[in-house]
Amino acid sequence: MPEPMTPLGLCLIAVALPLVGCLLSALCGLLKLNKLAHLPAILSFASAATLSTFVLLTLAKGDSNLSLFADLGTWFSVGRLDVPFSFHVDSISLLMLAMVTFIATFIAIFSASYMHGDEGYARYFSVMGLFVFSMCLLVTANNIFLLVAGWEGVGLCSYLLVGYYYAKPSAAAAARKAFLVTRLGDVGLILGVFLVWQMGGYHTNIDRLIHHIVEHPPTDAALLTACLCLFCGAVGKSAQFPLYVWLPDAMEGPTPVSALIHAATMVTAGVYLLARTAPLFALSPMAQIIVTAIGGTTALLAAFIALAQYDLKRVLAYSTVSQLGFMFMGLGCGGAIAPNIAILAAIFHLLTHAFFKALLFLGSGSVMHAMGNVIDMRKFGGLRKVMPVTHLTFLIGSLALAGFPLLSGFWSKDMILHALQDAGRSRSPFAFIYTGIFAVACLTAFLTAFYTFRAYFLTFWGEEKIPHEAHGHAHESPRAMLIPLIVLAIGALAVGAVVDPLTHWIGDFFERAPVVHEADHAFEKATNMVPGHHEFSWTMAGISTLLAFGGIGLAAVLYRKGGPEVVPEAMRPLQALSLNKLYVDELYGATLVAPAEFAATGARQFDGFVGSLARLISFVPRLIAAVLRPLQNGLVQFYALGMILGLAVFLTVVVVRSFR
Amino acid sequence: MISLPHFLAIGAILFGLGLIGFLSRRNFITMFLCAELMLQGVVLNLLAFGRYHGSLHGQAFGLFIITVAACEAGLAMALFLVLYKRGKSLDSGDWQAVREAGVSATLETEALPAYVPDESPTLPVAGRIPEQPEVTVQEPFRA
Amino acid sequence: MPPILANPLTQLALAVVLGALGVALLLPKPRVRSVAGGTFLLVAAFGILGTFLVLRFGQPMLMRDGTNSALGSVIFWVFALGSVLFGVQVVVQRNPARGAIAFAFVILSTCGLFLLLAAPFLMAATIVVYAGAIIVTFLFVLMLSNVRGPSDENDRTREPLLGSLAGFGFIGLLLFALHQGTAPSNDGFDSELPSVVVSNADRTAIEVAYGHVEAALAIEDAAAMQQHADEAQQALAVLLESSPSISSNDPGAKVQAERIASLKPLLRKLSDASLENKPEALRESLVSLRESLSLLRGVAELPARNVANLGYLLYSEYLLAVEMAGTLLLVATIGAVAIAARRKEATA
Repeated sequence: MPEPMTPLGLCLIAVALPLVGCLLSALCGLLKLNKLAHLPAILSFASAATLSTFVLLTLAKGDSNLSLFADLGTWFSVGRLDVPFSFHVDSISLLMLAMVTFIATFIAIFSASYMHGDEGYARYFSVMGLFVFSMCLLVTANNIFLLVAGWEGVGLCSYLLVGYYYAKPSAAAAARKAFLVTRLGDVGLILGVFLVWQMGGYHTNIDRLIHHIVEHPPTDAALLTACLCLFCGAVGKSAQFPLYVWLPDAMEGPTPVSALIHAATMVTAGVYLLARTAPLFALSPMAQIIVTAIGGTTALLAAFIALAQYDLKRVLAYSTVSQLGFMFMGLGCGGAIAPNIAILAAIFHLLTHAFFKALLFLGSGSVMHAMGNVIDMRKFGGLRKVMPVTHLTFLIGSLALAGFPLLSGFWSKDMILHALQDAGRSRSPFAFIYTGIFAVACLTAFLTAFYTFRAYFLTFWGEEKIPHEAHGHAHESPRAMLIPLIVLAIGALAVGAVVDPLTHWIGDFFERAPVVHEADHAFEKATNMVPGHHEFSWTMAGISTLLAFGGIGLAAVLYRKGGPEVVPEAMRPLQALSLNKLYVDELYGATLVAPAEFAATGARQFDGFVGSLARLISFVPRLIAAVLRPLQNGLVQFYALGMILGLAVFLTVVVVRSFR
Repeated sequence: MISLPHFLAIGAILFGLGLIGFLSRRNFITMFLCAELMLQGVVLNLLAFGRYHGSLHGQAFGLFIITVAACEAGLAMALFLVLYKRGKSLDSGDWQAVREAGVSATLETEALPAYVPDESPTLPVAGRIPEQPEVTVQEPFRA
Repeated sequence: MPPILANPLTQLALAVVLGALGVALLLPKPRVRSVAGGTFLLVAAFGILGTFLVLRFGQPMLMRDGTNSALGSVIFWVFALGSVLFGVQVVVQRNPARGAIAFAFVILSTCGLFLLLAAPFLMAATIVVYAGAIIVTFLFVLMLSNVRGPSDENDRTREPLLGSLAGFGFIGLLLFALHQGTAPSNDGFDSELPSVVVSNADRTAIEVAYGHVEAALAIEDAAAMQQHADEAQQALAVLLESSPSISSNDPGAKVQAERIASLKPLLRKLSDASLENKPEALRESLVSLRESLSLLRGVAELPARNVANLGYLLYSEYLLAVEMAGTLLLVATIGAVAIAARRKEATA
């Protein structure tokens, strides 16, 4: 048990605090003190954020490896399986811990005002607390089963929060869809975990496990299978193709939930998992290319669908899917260039994306709150003058997402594009595929800028149009909702400062994580290439800038006057395809859901048949009884006759046999 | 010299006849008389065997059988009286209610013949002048 | 006689079938039927049974020298036929009062058979108890139920055919067992009931010995007791000599031999006591000797001293049973009174 005042101890306290907040909020709900339920949540998140930021700042400078272990006793131990409560704090997890708690604090403050007066107020904050706790558990877990526990915990809380308005059928269906689709991914995750556990000498602590596998690598096929199974879990949780269909529907939940879970934290768990098991992936370049390919496919697909959506939150949801695709594209580069570059690019993009996407979602929440829960962009417009602060923060977020130079999104996206370009130029056998995916990424970056600003212009420019649901009270949101927007906007602007060429801080910070070294070492073993380090490229920066300005410019030209949208005849089929989400949901319904329902109906028929069979068996005694019952006719002489006849038979047998 | 099997045969026949009567007749009294008939057959059997062995044990046991038969008769008569009070007849077919639920009562279908009262004269109640039958005077036969 | 009919089994089967049919026909039915068919069948059946009995087991009453005792046979057949025919009447008679009277005649016939079996006391007791008490009780109850004309209980039968078959089946079964169980008869000699095997000389010896034993037990004087005991021993020695062998075929003789043999240890005890000159031991052995002698006496006097010996038997071997029979009678009386007592109605 570590001492509380050490950095490790403070980190563990920071992990535990949201759970305490959850329990206290639940208690508020039980004691009918609903109005106070936001206080435990905000306070616990804030203190956890303070502690983790403090630890981060304390340990930010230095050269030594940052790797702190804690073992808090055994959870359970069965046969070969020994699962302790072991935690590991290193650069990546510390950064993620700080980011998650920081953003959660401000989203909680926003929610206190957004969800004001709602009946399930206490339930909301309680589940949010549980979610933050599960996420912190996930990022600090050293034991792979503890990580899976955190994984499942965030999945559960996502279900509970998406289905917050459980009485609404669409919300309940969306929650179920989210849970079930991620469950499909979790199947792969569990299989991967057990494969890795077996390959890793039956260690359950991740560091030892990975070290064992790197030292005694198994066959290529086995490693590929294990990596793909783990990636399957990431595909489910981080909404990659083909399991992304739950994320747009999950917008049925309250907007702050979308901001927290589906922008900043839960969906990034897949990226984190791949970063944590990077050495394994580094040993299998084949797995890496598959990761990149799927990431690229997802990014382009989602960007295409986002082009024609008129629901603002849907645009942002598909944007999230697309940006997650970017992160996986970056991670996959670790098969051709050094994993430290890949991990740095992906995690940094994760960090910046958390800020600007949460900002955008909260902004849309602010708009929705003012417009009386209407989020259809066709129904409102020209809100620049009506909600100035929201407008400004939304603009900052959009610029960051589009990759406007010097904003945070620019730096992280640029890092990924550069990684892809380098991977295309490396000696890897898959180099040409990386080049192709680089082209896809460039196209996606352009489309990202376009649809983001389409949404911005349609919402805030053009003539002022307020829907009647707003009851004429359209005004700027209260201060409690504006402060998180402002804070996150500052973050979206400034986070770029941590990276070169301004400082080299984040690269150095990540270098201090042992897993990165391990990954580099594995990369060297697998590909016989010497791992390099991240360098800033001016050409790449130029290309990124061109793409951003191109997208923003095109959107400005088309949508400067705001809505309604005019689509030229030639583009109508494409627009319809994009609007209908490429009919993927319908395809799944026909190929997967319908056969499953058919099988279920068949199974129920069979069950009914078996039931009838059982009833038939139960019919037999009744039949026999009905045949025998008339013997009991109540006439004593009849009974006596029966006895005599039986006795006669018996005596006959006795007599005949005794005289044989 | 008396041969044993003859007496045993007679005992068996008496027993069998009693059995038939007990199983077939519906009047309580007749049923009981047939049961006593069976007991007689048994006593005959016992005595025959006792004589065969030249001992008195058979007779002693026969005495006990008579005792028990007497007790049985007394109790049976008491029970028949109670049943008669309840059912107003001495028919064993009246008491079928112990049958299984769902089984219908066994009822007779064939009708009984009509009651033909006896030809023998019945005595009138004392104090009433009996009805005088019509007297028709027959003319004497003249051949 | 054709061989098929000579087989006892066929005779039995035929008798059973005919008898069952006959009784089934005779049993009361609502529609009046003539009794001719049933009677004829029954007569045939009993005739066949009688023939079977005679052919298989010989004549009922045989003398020791092989000739038939005509009087004995006549008495036997008369009483047997009487009991059987009146028994049939009890079963098939419509009117229960007539059935009761037929039962009385059955009792009388069976009592005649009892007499043939050397049971005079039982005959008298049966007539008194059955024909006297039980039938009268039945008639009392019968008179309480005022039945006029045809009624369900008198004119209907439950399962006539099955019942008759069951009954005659039983008869057939028992007779079959009898047929199988007895050795084939050579003029019926082997299955005869034995006569009393005590000869006159034996009888006298037993009487004398008994008298001495009684006298010995009545006297207080030791010397006189001893003298009577010696006399008794002498008399019994004669008896022991003439005792039939234990391994005799005749079961009666065998039993007698056993009884006499059972005297031997008692006599030995007596002589021991005499030799040791102990008056108390002498008295004890005399008492046990008297018991055995009286049993022997009883058997010897089979019909004549029937009541006394039966009484003696009841109060020695069957004492507990007698007491229990008494209790049973008491309980039955109380029970009958309790069951049949008139319950006071709530409303007058």
